Amino acid sequence: MKNQTRVFHGTPDYCRIVDWLYDEAYLLDHGRLQDWLELMAPEIDYRMPVRRAVVPKQGSGFDEESAFFADNLSSLKTKVERLSTDQAWSDQPVSLTRHMISNILVEKADGGFAVTSAFLITRVRADSPYDFFSGERHDLLKSVVDGLKLAKRTIFLDQTVLKSHNLSFFF
Amino acid sequence: MTEPSISRDICLNDGTSLKSLVNTDTGRIARRIFSDPELFELEKAHIFRKAWCFLAHESEFSDVGDFVTRSLAGEPVVLIKDDQDQIRAFLNSCRHRGMRLCRTDDGNTSYLRCPYHGWSYGKDGTLVSVFAEGFYVEKFLKKDELGLIPVTKVETYKGLIFGTWDENAPSLSEFLGDMKFYIDMFVGRTNAGAEIVGTAQIWDSNANWKLLAENSCDNQHLHTAHGSVVQLGLLPPDPLMLAGGNLVDAGGGHILHLVPGPPDPFFEDLGLPFELRAEFPANLSEAQRSVAKRTSFSVGNVFPNLSFLHVMIQGDPETPPTPFLNFRVWEPLSATKTRIRSFVLVDRGASAEFRKRSFETYVRTFGPGGIFEQDDMENLEECTKVNSGLIAQRYPLHHAMSLHMEPVKDFPGPGNVWPTSFGETAQLAFYQHWQDCLLTGEQLELAA
Repeated sequence: MKNQTRVFHGTPDYCRIVDWLYDEAYLLDHGRLQDWLELMAPEIDYRMPVRRAVVPKQGSGFDEESAFFADNLSSLKTKVERLSTDQAWSDQPVSLTRHMISNILVEKADGGFAVTSAFLITRVRADSPYDFFSGERHDLLKSVVDGLKLAKRTIFLDQTVLKSHNLSFFF
Repeated sequence: MTEPSISRDICLNDGTSLKSLVNTDTGRIARRIFSDPELFELEKAHIFRKAWCFLAHESEFSDVGDFVTRSLAGEPVVLIKDDQDQIRAFLNSCRHRGMRLCRTDDGNTSYLRCPYHGWSYGKDGTLVSVFAEGFYVEKFLKKDELGLIPVTKVETYKGLIFGTWDENAPSLSEFLGDMKFYIDMFVGRTNAGAEIVGTAQIWDSNANWKLLAENSCDNQHLHTAHGSVVQLGLLPPDPLMLAGGNLVDAGGGHILHLVPGPPDPFFEDLGLPFELRAEFPANLSEAQRSVAKRTSFSVGNVFPNLSFLHVMIQGDPETPPTPFLNFRVWEPLSATKTRIRSFVLVDRGASAEFRKRSFETYVRTFGPGGIFEQDDMENLEECTKVNSGLIAQRYPLHHAMSLHMEPVKDFPGPGNVWPTSFGETAQLAFYQHWQDCLLTGEQLELAA
């Protein structure tokens, strides 16, 4: 991260972005998924690559072509609509999630900000096992007239074998 | 190949007859087979250490030294391309202390070197060097007897690499039998064959492997289990519209269903792009083409634990219905836990645009994040959990849908073929073969 483009902690832009991320997490953890969709830019590219177990010389292990998520706005809307039906059995009874977002690093980018954040997400549901998901998100937040919109999110999960039976929520 | 005749029965430790667990005449399956550790050990001995199990795809190996790590009957194996371009498979374990040699999912290496004391093996499995060789005398270090333990047999069918630990196993071709007719429609239909897109999704599920395999030939769950997707308009609202097509018992426990789409050429030939369909005549028989033509999607299971989905579907309303081809291995970790390794394949001759859209359609609909599979896992984990109860186990499960129906006589493809995709007869064939494997295996053990 270069000093010239870095947006430092405590500056007005940084505070705006932190608020945006907290607001987003609040919407996700309170089932306000329609409101969450309002935060997406029309060109949203929402993806979670598959990560292989590798040695350091092979790089990060994230595969360029494979994914657990490869969504655009239309497929995100479909997922949100699915969860709002009364037959989305994966989430009946409801999943309780908590998005804890930290380690936020911001850099100026073309038309907005490149934001890196760490997450720890917990999921609890009925008598199912307690699920933990940790990792990092790389976001592209675009400045628009009425605020910031998410144009791209890449989710780097800290797991090579997913220890959970589904990913029916959003990161 | 004729099935060995199974005259005798076997008693489980609590005195239950093994033959009582599966009743194909009435369509009743004992619930205990989905959680019983004793049966799980029998499965490992008589199914997973004997059957041909899927290990990898040829397209995962481009260069000499490329390797991938997999599991065969619950034991780690490594597959590596040797200097003669041959793909070899070995138990992933050093002969010295048993340490696992390759511990990444994949990679490229000149030698397989043990991280513990440095014993090193060539790509062909020969022991090349040991640490401080001067401290041994030859009679106590016979290097030619200390090569890696090979997977007993490794064979490939149309790019799919299988292995077995059984030296008496029939050839892979014989094992796949009539299922080859259908497998060809998926991986043998175009000139250049198929390849894996990227790498596998891997995840764990608290479900018994047989429930996962069985669900791969269960068209009757779509309307309810995937009711959310019906509500979204991405599946037909009338459940009976999905009842068309056929169920196939291809013998050897291999099963599948074949389902037509709406009457429109777009949905024929598995919905593939027309330029790929143009390659069918050079690669498929007339009978295979006739089956492909009437099929929009097909899901099935190659015994014991390799399921495939060739599904034409929409992951969202703005993308047109798009087919994808997915193979997944249900690797049992225990009686109630399964590791799923799921690969998307695409014809090498497909356009880059189709390859991308096909993969995206898979990811949006199947796999842990897909709008279909999220709910599948829910059902199969809950069934596993509830079926482990001893009160529950007093009452068998019900698999009698379309049990009264006779197989059709005029189907162009082989096997027992029923005139609907709504039925449990093919699933019963899977369970019958499962039971036969355990009975045959145990009798051989007793005779020995």
